Amino acid sequence: MVDSCFQCGAELVAPPALCASCGAVQPFRADLSLFTVAGLSEIYDLDVQTLRTQVFALQKGLHPDRFAHAEPTARRYSLEWSTRLNEALATLRDPLKRADYLLRCQGVDALGEQVKVADPELLMTQMIYRERLENIMAARDLPGMEALRQEVDKAVTKVVQRLKELLAILPCTELEAAGSAVRELQFLDKLVGEIDRSEESLQNV
Amino acid sequence: MALMQIAEPGVAADPHQRRLAIGIDLGTTHSLVATVLSAVPTVMRDHEGKYLLPSVVRYLGGGEVSVGYPAVAAAGQDPHNTIASVKRFMGRGHSDVQTLAGHLPYDLVSGEGMVRLRTIAGEKSPVEVSAEILRVLKERAVETLGGEPEGAVITVPAYFDEAQRQATKDAARLAGLNVLRLLAEPTAAAVAYGLDKGSEGVFAIYDLGGGTFDISILRLQAGVFEVLATAGDSALGGDDMDHALAEWLLREGGGDSADPLWRRQILQQARSAKEALSSADETMVALPPSPGCAALTVKLTRRQLESLILPVIQRTLPACRRALRDAALKLDEIDGVVLVGGATRVPAVRALVEGFFHQMPLTDMDPDQVVALGAAIQADALVGNQREDLLLMDVLPLSLGLETMGGLVEKIIPRNTPIPVARAQEFTTFKDGQTAMSIHVLQGERDLVQDCRSLARFSLRGIPSMVAGAARIRVTFQVDADGLLAVSAEEASTGVRAEVVVKPSYGLNDEEIANMLQDSFRHGAEDVVKRRLSEAKVDGARVREALATALAADADLLEPTERVAVDKANAALAVALSGNDADAITAAAEAVEAAAGPLVQRRMDNALRRAIAGRSIDDLGD
Repeated sequence: MVDSCFQCGAELVAPPALCASCGAVQPFRADLSLFTVAGLSEIYDLDVQTLRTQVFALQKGLHPDRFAHAEPTARRYSLEWSTRLNEALATLRDPLKRADYLLRCQGVDALGEQVKVADPELLMTQMIYRERLENIMAARDLPGMEALRQEVDKAVTKVVQRLKELLAILPCTELEAAGSAVRELQFLDKLVGEIDRSEESLQNV
Repeated sequence: MALMQIAEPGVAADPHQRRLAIGIDLGTTHSLVATVLSAVPTVMRDHEGKYLLPSVVRYLGGGEVSVGYPAVAAAGQDPHNTIASVKRFMGRGHSDVQTLAGHLPYDLVSGEGMVRLRTIAGEKSPVEVSAEILRVLKERAVETLGGEPEGAVITVPAYFDEAQRQATKDAARLAGLNVLRLLAEPTAAAVAYGLDKGSEGVFAIYDLGGGTFDISILRLQAGVFEVLATAGDSALGGDDMDHALAEWLLREGGGDSADPLWRRQILQQARSAKEALSSADETMVALPPSPGCAALTVKLTRRQLESLILPVIQRTLPACRRALRDAALKLDEIDGVVLVGGATRVPAVRALVEGFFHQMPLTDMDPDQVVALGAAIQADALVGNQREDLLLMDVLPLSLGLETMGGLVEKIIPRNTPIPVARAQEFTTFKDGQTAMSIHVLQGERDLVQDCRSLARFSLRGIPSMVAGAARIRVTFQVDADGLLAVSAEEASTGVRAEVVVKPSYGLNDEEIANMLQDSFRHGAEDVVKRRLSEAKVDGARVREALATALAADADLLEPTERVAVDKANAALAVALSGNDADAITAAAEAVEAAAGPLVQRRMDNALRRAIAGRSIDDLGD
């Protein structure tokens, strides 16, 4: 389907937000995926730098500051597109949120409350990591903290690699495996946050 | 019909008719104005060659006003009519500045709206006082440029709220300036450096002023400035270094340190000595005589000074670490460190910054000028003198959230999120048959409602009666590009809806905002304990609620011995809930759940049987 400008009827290039021929900001399309809004094809293994460049290039044309003197409808469209672009950047730049988003597009809520983490191995790893962090804090062991961080970073890289394989072809066919990888990544993500906070509190005392 | 002259947007119609634009740094202690002359951003000077204008306004009788150095000189003899640091009053109500006013000699007028100051020239609002400062700067610009500036960009602290920004705009209008845009101070500094270097990358802006410290991390890419993180300490600045040195001099001098005049003299000497040691390795400090003590001259080396002020400047590092963490950046990802504020001239500060960031800070711009220069560059671009169109993405200064059970705050949009933004979260009912939900919108970083600032309350009514936890209520926060917040709540099945529009930070001053940030940092561990307890209490109460419902409906499903066990566990939970031990509450709640296991199982079986028998789901609750 080809989109055309609501004002001059010219054909719109993706994403259909601004008309290249008359410059009119188009009515917001809530049905478009975050990838489409950012002008990218749906893919898990994306380059964050490209994403950022793309989103900012679009923001430069669509941000409400550009429509400060425009009529109210155009201002509203600009606000909606700009909001959605910010959401696209925030969601797609993060490997965890990006994977979760792709699964949700397929109707899978991998991080929902209904999902019980049934993987005993993951639970065990969690406990071991947390115990180590507690010991490091008790001993005020900064080198130990750094070693733990490197280990966790490696684990993150491994899970992201697994997700890249599982989500290489979309729609994903191995939803179970992808869902469990997403949960594992969320656990690691939280752990990294805790390591950051713990390290900060050790440094600041 | 005459032919219209059409100019391409962003290109001046005639290169000889360059449009005049100015950038103004309207500071707490001093202000300055800059412009872009022949592509070079330049500060503008007064007749004596000074570019700093002290932000001090003195009202004399007969409609006369003096601004700047003459007003400073008169501050001692005419304190009531000489207004300094008026920036702290901008956009604030009388009650907002009560605590601040205790330290100042001004006569504040109580009443609705923005606070007013009583002077010999009548009641003056902070907007009017600021306008006097802006008027002097505008005159300076008109003289230097030889014409009226077409527009001005004025800088404000990054976390100035809507009311403070509006007050700043009003002051500019009062001074006859056309405000093109208000620009955050750290962003202005980054613009000055970023565009000057024509470079892209991530900049840390280390801003140590007289009384406040701010650290911001920004990314410049393809003409878009993105604020990645901000942090700071509103009670830390160059003044603290002066005080540390003065304390030492007081001890050396051995006089009566309670004598206020002597203390003030010593403080002045400390300030001069600190400034002298920015370039010299040692200096002689003349201590004035005090009652019971002769005049004395002591030698002070830079090394001595540095050991005295080190504890002060080291207090800037936690905020730096926090900003880096918020930006999710490592030290080696920072491409440049920009110094802002006069206190960053102190070599020990530069050394500390260099040591922390593992790189030499950029010092080729005057730290007092850099903010005004950045504002001038943006003003120049906005009137159409430059082709590069900048886009400055603003961020939320403080997190926005909702009150949840147990007096906890659930953050919906974290601070530093680029705006405009919309975020939604689902909540559910706590009690069976609950038909209304109260929505309490909060601002701040702390975990407990009592430690955050209340922005608005409203209720969602008409929720259909359901069992606890069955309703799905979607709460949406939308913040537009001007920082205006709209909150709406909608129940999924019926579509009942309620909403409210609030100004996020009206009535909150930048110091309070910074303090709130700092508090959250300081109280992090304490909050975790409180949060755990609060969560345990909510869970415990929920277990009791569910048990009461189940017993009311199906108590007969329990054997007498089972009933005794359930009652005993339930009583123990009630006792635990009255205490403050999170683990005890959790354990007691688990015990109740275990004791009630048979009841739950049998109720479930019955429900299933009824469902299979073709009864409608609605009956199950009875």
